[in-house]
Amino acid sequence: MLIDLVHPSDHAACNEFHNRIHHDRRSMTQWRWEFVDNTHLQIPIPFVCAKDGDRVVGTQAFIPIRMIDRDGVYWTAKSEETLVDPEYRGQQVFEKMYDLLFRYAEDHQFAFIWGFTPAVKAFTRLQFATPGVTHQLFLPFSPRSAAPMIRKLSSGQTEKGGRLRAAAMRTAIAAARVLSSVKITLGRRRLPDGLIIRTMDEPDDQAGLLCECFVKQWGGNTIYRDSRYLRWRLLENPYVRSIVRAIYEGDRLLGWVAFTLGDDGVGYLVDLLVSCDPSRWNPGILVKSLLVDAVFSTKNMGATGLRGWSVNQHPFDRLVRSEARKIGFYHIRRGHSVVLYICSAGRNRSSSANFDEWFVSRIYTEGVLS
Amino acid sequence: MTATVPVQYVRTQLINHARLFFTDVAVKILQSDAVKFLPYADAAAVRAPAIVIPTDIPIPPSPQSRWRVPFNGTELTLWNPVPRPSGDTWSAVSSGSAPAWYQHNSGTLMPAWNLFGNLFDLLTFGEEFRSNQRDRHGRFDWRFSPRLSPGLLTVPAVNEAVALLADASVSLSRSKPPSFILDCLSGPPVVVLSHDCDLLTGNDFITQAVRLYRTFQPLTRFRLPRPGNLWWIVRNAVTPRRYYFDNVTGMLDIERCFRFTSTLYLLNGAKGRFGARSPLAETRRLAKLVPPAWEIGMHYNYNTFLDPSAFSSQLDQLKQIVPNRIISGRAHYLHFDPFRSFSFLQQYGICTDESSGWPDYVGFRNGIAGCFQAYDLKQNTPLDIWEVPLTIVENALANQHGAESLPVVENLLRHLRSIGGALTILFHPGRFHNPESPRTLFLYHEILKAGRRVEATSLTARQLVDRIRDLS
Repeated sequence: MLIDLVHPSDHAACNEFHNRIHHDRRSMTQWRWEFVDNTHLQIPIPFVCAKDGDRVVGTQAFIPIRMIDRDGVYWTAKSEETLVDPEYRGQQVFEKMYDLLFRYAEDHQFAFIWGFTPAVKAFTRLQFATPGVTHQLFLPFSPRSAAPMIRKLSSGQTEKGGRLRAAAMRTAIAAARVLSSVKITLGRRRLPDGLIIRTMDEPDDQAGLLCECFVKQWGGNTIYRDSRYLRWRLLENPYVRSIVRAIYEGDRLLGWVAFTLGDDGVGYLVDLLVSCDPSRWNPGILVKSLLVDAVFSTKNMGATGLRGWSVNQHPFDRLVRSEARKIGFYHIRRGHSVVLYICSAGRNRSSSANFDEWFVSRIYTEGVLS
Repeated sequence: MTATVPVQYVRTQLINHARLFFTDVAVKILQSDAVKFLPYADAAAVRAPAIVIPTDIPIPPSPQSRWRVPFNGTELTLWNPVPRPSGDTWSAVSSGSAPAWYQHNSGTLMPAWNLFGNLFDLLTFGEEFRSNQRDRHGRFDWRFSPRLSPGLLTVPAVNEAVALLADASVSLSRSKPPSFILDCLSGPPVVVLSHDCDLLTGNDFITQAVRLYRTFQPLTRFRLPRPGNLWWIVRNAVTPRRYYFDNVTGMLDIERCFRFTSTLYLLNGAKGRFGARSPLAETRRLAKLVPPAWEIGMHYNYNTFLDPSAFSSQLDQLKQIVPNRIISGRAHYLHFDPFRSFSFLQQYGICTDESSGWPDYVGFRNGIAGCFQAYDLKQNTPLDIWEVPLTIVENALANQHGAESLPVVENLLRHLRSIGGALTILFHPGRFHNPESPRTLFLYHEILKAGRRVEATSLTARQLVDRIRDLS
């Protein structure tokens, strides 16, 4: 068996392997966007392919992503494309692929390797920590939102248990929808004078600066969403592009909310970021205004509900969660585990140890919605 | 000399269509002497590796002998056969049982169907020219079309002809017989999206009156009334923009998510049952929301039909709201006369029109999924105005195909992926996401997803025409 960083001639075979195992129809454009044309742009790409003869039997990749904390901007890697052919399980293929990627991470000074997975065991064997779980914020617009929510949350249920759970969830969603409608109607306020929300069709050059201000204001670390990153992750996403609605004071960018409509008809709150002078603006009001905008926009798009993430006790995460609940969102404590590996470049970073210092939104996902 | 004008016209339309959907190599071959338009007798006499297209075979009043030919993973539909030239040196060439071409031993290829006649007839509204039947709005209804009974209204005959022609001519340039496999398409199919913004609020008197009528109308047939309509009366009285104006912003956003764009046809001017029902202020407000990459066009009010004063009045009002953007349009209720409207519209600077379609039937009125230059049959001359025929209206799709609506769109897109073309789709804001219209609920999102599955790209009608002009 040959395990090595992928050669360009194997790109298509790796994608076919994914499509075969997942019964998916991912195109090469989508594959390239995710693994080749991201913001790292280094050759070779951190994508390991295990081959038995000409047959691809395993893949493991990183999506390199820059993060920012009070000490500055640094590279991290999102673990992605973990896949081993069922016939080759028990042969340490995953571990061998990761050996290569750990070396790649050291060579490229990645501080952290992180990801979200329901299968934590394989990662804990490689010394990954599991510091948290991705919880959901959910606002139902229609009883139709029950079906996709049930699918997402009830995987692994027995048939009987699943049916009972589905019936209970449908009833709960019908009731919750009424309550949410009242809350959103009462919670809708005029935007404070001097502020304007507009669609960001082209990434704003102030985006990187906003991230710097964000970590100064709220602490911890988060993805460095400069204009290049926003273009790649949100606006040029070949799966589904996000709508970015930005809040401005004059020409000064104060924050944004990014959302989109998933193939399941549910709206997804992809990202929300605000940084402002608290003596001038109440950040809670800005967050609430952006959330309300996302709610009404996704509603107008025909979404059956709106889902976002709430992951930890980061001060901004807590603020978003609190404002979201005021306008009718529900906090559902179900999701995938977070796995985190601290590389040597990350050991000295002030924000490394405590996962509550990470501000995480759905922008941390690989960008696929379906 | 006049006899050559139709030939030149058809040739130009074929080449323009090829410019949009085929590679430069294919276009060059189609432009070359390898494709000749000749009277039948002269065509049958050619002895050289060339494609000869007879131009003097009359079109029967009703289509004759429809047959199918497998081609590039799909099936093409041909009708009105051309007699095989006499002599045993001509053989039928086909990928199935029925021929698509006749080929002479010397390499000469002649289409086995009346390519020129069919296309000229379709692009110049021939069947409407020969018929006096019109509906109460003066329109040529799909029920009057002789293509209805043989099931030809859903055949993009021009696209299919160009695909066959491109394959045959490219194969001929390689000294090979037609392969019936197309390797000269320049890209995926195109979707041309548009929205007639004729109703931006749901609380106007007529809309509310219609709801009231619908509530009690069943009583006239001794059935129970439908009080659900009263809910919509109340709902839109309280929130007039909900499901109308708000839906436009939702449609723009959903198109952003798919990286598609569309044209918004704005209706203003005279009010009334067939006129504008929303306040002009709403139209003005909407125009401000439309991003630059989207097009704004004029939705010609019903009363402006061939009326210079009413038309210029509506256009002037619209130009005050959106200066420098109105060069395309579509008639409200598709109230349009193909023999008089084009030259009329041309006088007012309208360069692209999307009125040629059926409001209640999914089909190709001109047999083309793309665009073509209008033709004045009386003057026997092409006009400098382009038609992008309308194929799908959401309500027609839902009424005609019900639960099969999405597969119908997907099949059309897959067919066009195999032969090249642009599918035009009209979705009214009030039908996009409106529980009052449950049959079209979520349909637009599903259609856009189907477009993404075939990797379709998006162009507006104007962009489609501009692209031809740029490439010419």
